[in-house]
Amino acid sequence: MTTTETREIQPREKEVLMSEDPRSGLVFRPDVDILEERDAFVIHADMPGASEDTVDVQLEKGLLTLQARLAQTPAANRTLYAEYRDGSYYREFRLSDDIDAAAVSARMKDGVLELRLPKSVSRRPRKITVEAA
Amino acid sequence: MATYTLTRPSALNPWRGLMSELQRDLHSAFRPNDGVFQGTRGVYPLVNLHESDEGYVLTAELPGVSPDDISVSIEGSTVTLSGQRKIEYPVGEGTAVHRRERQSGSFRRAFELPSEIDVEAAKASHKNGVLTLVLPKSPAARPRQIAIETR
Repeated sequence: MTTTETREIQPREKEVLMSEDPRSGLVFRPDVDILEERDAFVIHADMPGASEDTVDVQLEKGLLTLQARLAQTPAANRTLYAEYRDGSYYREFRLSDDIDAAAVSARMKDGVLELRLPKSVSRRPRKITVEAA
Repeated sequence: MATYTLTRPSALNPWRGLMSELQRDLHSAFRPNDGVFQGTRGVYPLVNLHESDEGYVLTAELPGVSPDDISVSIEGSTVTLSGQRKIEYPVGEGTAVHRRERQSGSFRRAFELPSEIDVEAAKASHKNGVLTLVLPKSPAARPRQIAIETR
């Protein structure tokens, strides 16, 4: 198959992580964007092929782990050309203790995981009203 | 495994890039080579192509790209995928970007398939950030069983 291409998007290589469990197949490290808003941190992670049913987010002792296990789809047809492989995703982040762990929320849309990590109330910027004496 | 502190992004570690390259080399050395895998080359989006007797199935990884921003056109045996990956954050109003790995911009790839496509019967769907094109071969390009007459 011949292909031609024009683009302005700069592709990144899919980074393969070494897997401790050889049965789980390939594990990719999802690309992420990390934003800080006034009252929360927001993480967007690219996980094409993963759905809300296969993504697992855990927060334990300040360690946030994102993972998705993808079922290997049996190749029913002949593969003519392959640029990507299916696999699982894994990435972890160490959180500081100013995150309100109980209020962390996650949603999946079009293969992108969006995580909201609200700051604990004491760390949010506050405006102190100055009272007249 | 890499760990990052959310509040203080770690300084650039010169060993990390080298380590991940080593890991990738090790991984590919032990990976069964099926002779078809091209590897993750510098193209966007990455695609896989499968063939059956009836046609082709082309899948492309397009996470976070809205179906409205993807355009597919087919002419003869050429399939063209183009579109925009828009990632915009309201930076300024109290929002700061600490890490930016997800790339955005326009893309366009054209694929010349081995045989003609039945344009009317082609279908496209988008699920979990993966675009799937089902591309039936035009009737003339499908394999046919030829009965042998005996005399």
